[in-house]
Amino acid sequence: MRRVLVTHVESPVGRRVVKALYHDPDVALVLGLGTEAEPSYLAPYRGKVAYQRLDLAKARHLQSFLHSERFARARPDSVIHLPFAAERAGERVPGGVHSLVSETRRLVEECAAKGGMERFVYLSSAFVYEPEPGNGNVVSEAQLLGFDGDGDSLVRAWIDADLVCQGELHGTALRMTILRAATIVTEGGGFLNSPPLAHHDPAVGYDPMLAVVSERDVARAIVLALHADRPGIYNIAGREVFPRSQLGSSERRIAGIALPAPLGGALGLVERLIGRSHAQGAAFERYGIVPSSRLAHEALGFEPQYRIEVRGSGAARRIDTVRCR
Amino acid sequence: MSHDELNEALGPSLGTDPFTQGDGTLPYLIRLRERSLRIVAEAVPTRAAQTTAYEEPQEPPDLGPPIPELPTFDDRDESAGALDRLAGMLLTPSDEDRLAQLGALLGGRPYDEFGLSPRVTRRALAFFKLLYKYWFRVESSGHAVLPEKEGAILAANHGGLLPFDATMIVCDGVLAAKPPRLVRTVVDRWAGTLPFVNVFYARVGQVVGSRDNVRELLRLKQLVLIFPEGMAGIRKRAADRYVLQPFHLGFVEESLRHRVPIVPVAVVGADDQAPVLWDLQPLAKLLGLPFFPITPTFPLLGPLGLLPYPVRYEIAYGEPFRFYDEYPPEALEDPHAVRYMTEQVRRRIQEMVDQRVLDRRAKRR
Repeated sequence: MRRVLVTHVESPVGRRVVKALYHDPDVALVLGLGTEAEPSYLAPYRGKVAYQRLDLAKARHLQSFLHSERFARARPDSVIHLPFAAERAGERVPGGVHSLVSETRRLVEECAAKGGMERFVYLSSAFVYEPEPGNGNVVSEAQLLGFDGDGDSLVRAWIDADLVCQGELHGTALRMTILRAATIVTEGGGFLNSPPLAHHDPAVGYDPMLAVVSERDVARAIVLALHADRPGIYNIAGREVFPRSQLGSSERRIAGIALPAPLGGALGLVERLIGRSHAQGAAFERYGIVPSSRLAHEALGFEPQYRIEVRGSGAARRIDTVRCR
Repeated sequence: MSHDELNEALGPSLGTDPFTQGDGTLPYLIRLRERSLRIVAEAVPTRAAQTTAYEEPQEPPDLGPPIPELPTFDDRDESAGALDRLAGMLLTPSDEDRLAQLGALLGGRPYDEFGLSPRVTRRALAFFKLLYKYWFRVESSGHAVLPEKEGAILAANHGGLLPFDATMIVCDGVLAAKPPRLVRTVVDRWAGTLPFVNVFYARVGQVVGSRDNVRELLRLKQLVLIFPEGMAGIRKRAADRYVLQPFHLGFVEESLRHRVPIVPVAVVGADDQAPVLWDLQPLAKLLGLPFFPITPTFPLLGPLGLLPYPVRYEIAYGEPFRFYDEYPPEALEDPHAVRYMTEQVRRRIQEMVDQRVLDRRAKRR
């Protein structure tokens, strides 16, 4: 019976994970961490789920929590870390996205040093991969990461946090599983794990394909990874892919004018010079990344159970999550 | 276990949560919420009560007309497209049937993993069918060797400035093969960087040549068209036409890895569509292009000079190579063995091309 520590339970994915773990007979206890007051959705799950308000970005908070009587009595043996699941498109973390990297580093180090923690499941993003020219490129877990120093700050943070967790892949202290999810579609039709949709303008002549996955499927994959005990890196994606023009146009900024790629690159340089972090000209504005979740299917038994449908256009656009028959 | 028991078991909270401060008693708001939840739960009739109590059938409340179902993107574009109507006029019912068979393979999805859109493919096919029938007057033979459902690698010779040879093979797969197969061409990475071109390629099912893409296509049992000569094939000079350039080895490796046959394809006509007199490499480097050709019409006539001459095309499919039956899987690791297999494919295609070129010359005499 697993005793699981789940971070950022107030996020949409965190909520799904907590609910799935509550109904999981192999999980004895769930200790949820969040930065806000106890989410109201936890009310029906109190028999198995406890909540602790905590700011993981602060080392002092994490230290006092890990050495508290509450933590000692909970005796969690697994961690599900969802730092970027809270990052909604269009919103930013107050402390900056790099605070999420710091908290990931701190949590991984403390869990590895403390002992008693067996499994660590970390939710990363498929945007860590280096985009290759062309649209709708299927990438496996072996694809190189996109170390573009001038890229989007959120993407760089994803890569940094991913590398922190990769550092524990071959260690003996933790059994690390990294799930790199495609753009996550929430029940309300919002997007997670998708910086280009909200913060980047498209380049003329490019319309990259984006793989999408339902938040419910992501939660299922996390629970599968928790039980499968197959450390490694796995891509998580749904069946559908859409051009960015269909998914992103409703979230485009007012100044979101399509620019020719060289002009976008030049504008990006100017933006960086004046200190704007969401620079233009990033490769993922032009080239699509479609993560292949074949390995997750073979190793974890992951199979998407929900499909995403895009209906209507303009203000009447609706993005539905539909259960597969 | 109740919430209180769970909290008692876990010990006192750290105190950062105002809702669980002090001696552990729940604050007023939490109690109020629980009370309201209890009241709501009590107010809902149980299932047993619902089944036993008889209720008079009631008319549904009049809420006005139902909200119409929003159309999908495909439906919206379908209604708006003059191009779709034009395509409908150019394509025969038989062509539409063939396209419908291909579209069904997507399982109702508007796009596949690589960005293929059945709707854009239909429009493109309507246009390229004109080229296939009236401009290049394509004659093809040997379709029987194409697998009906399984995956395969089609290895073809490459020629001409613009890849009309690939386009004609794709058209041939849809219009002439039985059953129709959509051939997925592996295009050069450079083509993937070109604005608009990269989107068009993706929508009509062509993919950029990366190992992951090819593996995924073969896993999906698709026909993958590869030009093993690469860029060297289309920039070779007129004096070298129909002389196959050295082959890259990757396609044989993938064939062995995925245990799929290699179908040799000979294309005659492509090397005549735009004979390259010279390749200005220094200028190509300056402009960031893979090559800069000089032809009888380019750059003399500007971009129009790139258009192909109306030459007659011949496409022939040869007997497939099944190296995976002859060689053990370890052969994949042996570069000499892979090179030997590649040479066998190259020779076969060269023979097929030579035979057809000789036949053409004989006919002219």
